[in-house]
Amino acid sequence: MPTRDLTFAIVGSGGDGVITVGDMMAQAGASEGLHVMKVEAYGPQIRGGESSCTVRLSADPIFAQGDLVQVLVVFNWADFARFRGEIICAENAIVLYEATDETPHDQIDLGPIEEAKWVPVPFIELAKESAGTTLAKNIVTIGLLSELFNLPRKPLERAINKKFSKKKKEVLEANIKGFDAGVEHASKIEEAATGMRLQYTPGEPMLLMSGNELSAVAALHAGCRFFAGYPITPSSEVLHLLSEWMPKVGGYLVQTEDELSAIGAVIGGSFAGVKSMTATSGPGLALMTEMLGLASMAEIPAVIIDVQRGGPSTGLPTKSEQSDLWQALWGSHGDAPRVVLAPADVEDCFHATVAAFNIAEEAQMPVIVLSDQFIAQRRETLSMLTLDHEVIGRQVPSAGDLREYKRYKDTKSGISPMSWPGMKGGEYQTNGLEHLEDGSPTSMHLVHEQMNAKRYRKLRAVRAKYSFYRRYGAEKADVGIICWGSSKGPVKEAVQKATARGERVSAFVPQLLYPFPYHEFNEYLKTVDNVVVIELSYSAQFYKYLQTFLNLPEARTFVYKRSGGKNLTVGEVEDKIQKVLEMGALRREVLV
Amino acid sequence: MSPPTKVELKPGAYKTDLKPVWCPGCGDFGVLNALYRSMAALQIEPWNTVILSGIGCSSRLPGYVTTYGFNGVHGRALTLATGVKMARPELTVIAVGGDGDGLAIGGNHLIHACRRNLDVTYILMDNEIYGLTKGQVAPTTPIGDKTKSTYWGNPEPAFDPCELAISTGASWVGRGFSGDMKGMTELITKAIEHDGFSFLNAMSPCVTWRGDDEFKRLKAMHQKLPEDHDPSKRSNAIVYTREKEVMTTGVLYEVEVPTMIDRVEAIKRDAMGDKPAPSTKEILKTFYPSF
Repeated sequence: MPTRDLTFAIVGSGGDGVITVGDMMAQAGASEGLHVMKVEAYGPQIRGGESSCTVRLSADPIFAQGDLVQVLVVFNWADFARFRGEIICAENAIVLYEATDETPHDQIDLGPIEEAKWVPVPFIELAKESAGTTLAKNIVTIGLLSELFNLPRKPLERAINKKFSKKKKEVLEANIKGFDAGVEHASKIEEAATGMRLQYTPGEPMLLMSGNELSAVAALHAGCRFFAGYPITPSSEVLHLLSEWMPKVGGYLVQTEDELSAIGAVIGGSFAGVKSMTATSGPGLALMTEMLGLASMAEIPAVIIDVQRGGPSTGLPTKSEQSDLWQALWGSHGDAPRVVLAPADVEDCFHATVAAFNIAEEAQMPVIVLSDQFIAQRRETLSMLTLDHEVIGRQVPSAGDLREYKRYKDTKSGISPMSWPGMKGGEYQTNGLEHLEDGSPTSMHLVHEQMNAKRYRKLRAVRAKYSFYRRYGAEKADVGIICWGSSKGPVKEAVQKATARGERVSAFVPQLLYPFPYHEFNEYLKTVDNVVVIELSYSAQFYKYLQTFLNLPEARTFVYKRSGGKNLTVGEVEDKIQKVLEMGALRREVLV
Repeated sequence: MSPPTKVELKPGAYKTDLKPVWCPGCGDFGVLNALYRSMAALQIEPWNTVILSGIGCSSRLPGYVTTYGFNGVHGRALTLATGVKMARPELTVIAVGGDGDGLAIGGNHLIHACRRNLDVTYILMDNEIYGLTKGQVAPTTPIGDKTKSTYWGNPEPAFDPCELAISTGASWVGRGFSGDMKGMTELITKAIEHDGFSFLNAMSPCVTWRGDDEFKRLKAMHQKLPEDHDPSKRSNAIVYTREKEVMTTGVLYEVEVPTMIDRVEAIKRDAMGDKPAPSTKEILKTFYPSF
């Protein structure tokens, strides 16, 4: 029996070419119109060290990584052991492992399964014999997987041709031989793959992109023409991509000496009238925090992308977590209004980033796009975007306003027209000090009260205009899941599965986190009997945030939270749904 | 109809209604007055000019000038200036601040602004002390001096800001004295005119925390660069740094080298060629699998 959905994991050392295998499979799948999700995981080493690549290929749309690996390729069991509890095999998974690695099977933890099909493959020998070098073992692997599981053969061959076309002819020929050797070896072990051949109808090519790439393109789409950033994993792809494209659209980019300088330059660029952005991760956002307050106080639009990783401190730099939430919401000295948006999937990084620029210009304050490693660095397929987004520019003073210009005029909405250098009559002094309507400094309590109110009032317009959330599943539900960010994918897939089983389950995923969307939350809560809050934060930051603003039904609210470092799985979500359906077993287990 | 006659801007035209918060006798008044004169000499258009600062006594200066002004946070004037200049290269951008602001908390930004040769004028108003926080030691305070935070005397040696700027890539480095209005005006004028990062160490005594005699002391040490000083050589300039007995003013160092903006504009020309800017759709299309 063929299958329409397969998840592969390839594990090895840095030099094994694991990522190339995943890249080629993902590219080939995307070119044939398959739905693809590719996730890479590394140790913190630059070269060498363990690396893994998980690729899910499906004939139907997918929303999650694929919890359970059906096809595992291992070049080295010692490297695999470093992903213990992160790469988990499905029942009866096929395990293709380097034949010369004689680690006893009982010392290998594939996950809580009864059976696996252990298939030793002489990857090293096949590579040596066919291509004359062990380096080709990843290409042997591609040939083998292609034949065993009916992966798009022609695109894979083209991918190999392209990869080695710039090298010597012999190198290309050697790799083609390696590919063929893999194909040939498949016939010896094809029995193990029975029922696992991928069935699909080839379609139009799909875009294959990461959230970071989409955030970068979105910034250009929104009219961002100045980017300042400091490299930090897992956000650097935004810097990389913009370093190529920003000059092509006539904009400027600078890699600054630190994050303090990055946010300073962004505030300077925006003050000067040019839409400006930076991208960082938790430690970088911490360094930017002082000047986020400056942008709030001086009412300067700024867009900050925070790609979350495991923390605190250096934490888990290459892996995802949802634990920058409080820092993004409240990280501040003084009362410093900002807007926080959380994209919920890869494509959403585009929409959220465009919205962030619009809101920043409208509300004249910093807007944080709270992405995370899971959506920012994984690559997945998507259709060409419609690109009908509204793009909003700065509200500048009218000729009348400029006659006696007051930059911080206390208006009904709190929003005051903002001039930029070059506008005659618009000259003003802006200030990190509390200031009067004309920008001149003051320490008067009464002015401070008035101006705090003005600055916070601007959030009302944002809350009134924007209603970003996703809702899935039953209209009236026994179990309603509330989650945010990248948790959406596994939650959505679990809700769909539960719905298909006839269970009354739903999910609510706010994408505008602050200002708090009271109305949307309260409407949703009316439709559910039990609430499960799900998040990857050990101290349950999201749950505690919700408690600040909502009266969650105490006896009927459950929390599932854990540390990051491993992405949320569909199975975990399904398990929690079942536990709540079985009368609240979850509550005692995990409530903080 | 003939175009309207251009109104000549006098130094007073650059003065706002805001009264400086500085103590009577503060050296910063001299720097501010010199700045007004330089701006008038250059007929700088206030609406096309941005003055940015950090925090400190001297960082209050943007409020006293009729240009666009930005009194930011401590140590970060040059980060803000980097953004303004890179986003809008056609603007005249001036950063000001004190020695604590620019050399201690903001030191990292200073060396990188010098290295980039960003086309910004930076006036470091140097009083060798923290004034606003009431008298603590600064990176420019002479070794041994007693301050509020060095009760037994300062155990640390001082920077020479000019030496730092010369060695890290600034293409114009000068030292001025706020007690020498004519000299300071000339130096600010030249600094603004220079293409590239111009660093002016403006010696600006603090009468409150370094004593009433500070002006007299500096005046006694003050000398001008010799007429035949050749500022194009780093080695010539370095001679006038780390001075102990004298304080030499003038343009120590000046070279014409490409600025940050020159280099970035060249990159843009290469990247764009004669093609129009790509649309979002064109950029997205590059993410289709290609082989």
